[in-house]
Amino acid sequence: MNPRLAHLLMRLYPRPWRERYGAEFEALLQTGRGDLRMAANVVWSALREHLAPTRGGKINQDPRSLRFQSWCVRAPWAMFGLAPLCLLAGAYFVACFILWSGWRLLLPGTNTPFVRIDGFAIYYFGVGRAVYYGAPILIGWGIGLIAAPQSTTALWPTVGLALIALISVTAQVHASHPVPGGAGHISMDFALGHSLQGISSGLFHALMIFSLMVLPYLMVRLQKAHSLSA
Amino acid sequence: MDDSKLGHFSDPPMFVLASLAHGPKHGHAMIEDIARLCGTRLGPGTLYGAIARLEQQGWIEPLPPEERRRPYRITAEGERVLRAKLTTLRRFTKAGLGRLEAL
Repeated sequence: MNPRLAHLLMRLYPRPWRERYGAEFEALLQTGRGDLRMAANVVWSALREHLAPTRGGKINQDPRSLRFQSWCVRAPWAMFGLAPLCLLAGAYFVACFILWSGWRLLLPGTNTPFVRIDGFAIYYFGVGRAVYYGAPILIGWGIGLIAAPQSTTALWPTVGLALIALISVTAQVHASHPVPGGAGHISMDFALGHSLQGISSGLFHALMIFSLMVLPYLMVRLQKAHSLSA
Repeated sequence: MDDSKLGHFSDPPMFVLASLAHGPKHGHAMIEDIARLCGTRLGPGTLYGAIARLEQQGWIEPLPPEERRRPYRITAEGERVLRAKLTTLRRFTKAGLGRLEAL
């Protein structure tokens, strides 16, 4: 194989691997024919080395974990865009259910669950509130911690985090009695605001939440870059 | 040695161990030997993927380089692993062939 092509192919591997095997691997590539099949084999193996590193990684990695990483590369839009939205929808459903059931069981006869409460109701509604406000942050941190160790671009994790941040600041919960004296009704809608000031304030809050959610991602990425350069 | 690791063992590391059981070799010699042994020609990426994992396990070890090529040899632990795996394969082959003959 052409020495230049052999060098280029060797450079596809992560740095810790190259430092250990680079010279001998390049020598081996140079002795080969250098056909397309060989090049494809090297490209595929280099990709696998990025996904499941042998140098500085876990060599006995569970194959299920490798499949998961593979999904992060093959369908990042699903892993970092769609899946977090589904999780957030699930969390909001749980929070709304807690609000609705607490309203029926602990506050019968009131027109709204948003009234002064005491005793057990504080804890019960507190759980719902924790789910409602905590879910976006926890999901955002989850996206960051899953995405950061992967060798994928930051595009989809960023899109996922931005969507979660935007949804969390635009979400509003409403309680109403469609039928007087009947069962209460909980609904949600998403609106950024009706005035320019409301929109800019909403965007500012979204940016604050995004900054908070992106912290674990940045920390893991910085740590990874530091360990590679060490 | 944790024998459960054998469960994740795929062919290329087995081929490398089997090749090195016949004496130390560098990458190119391993590819040729494996091709003679079982008719499979490993790609360089596949070979070094197997070498890296086997070395991390301590089942093979590097020898001093000869110019830019580095030979490897099988360790005592690697021999034990290879023997265990081949014994299992022999049992499986015998049972499978026995069933085929009964057809």
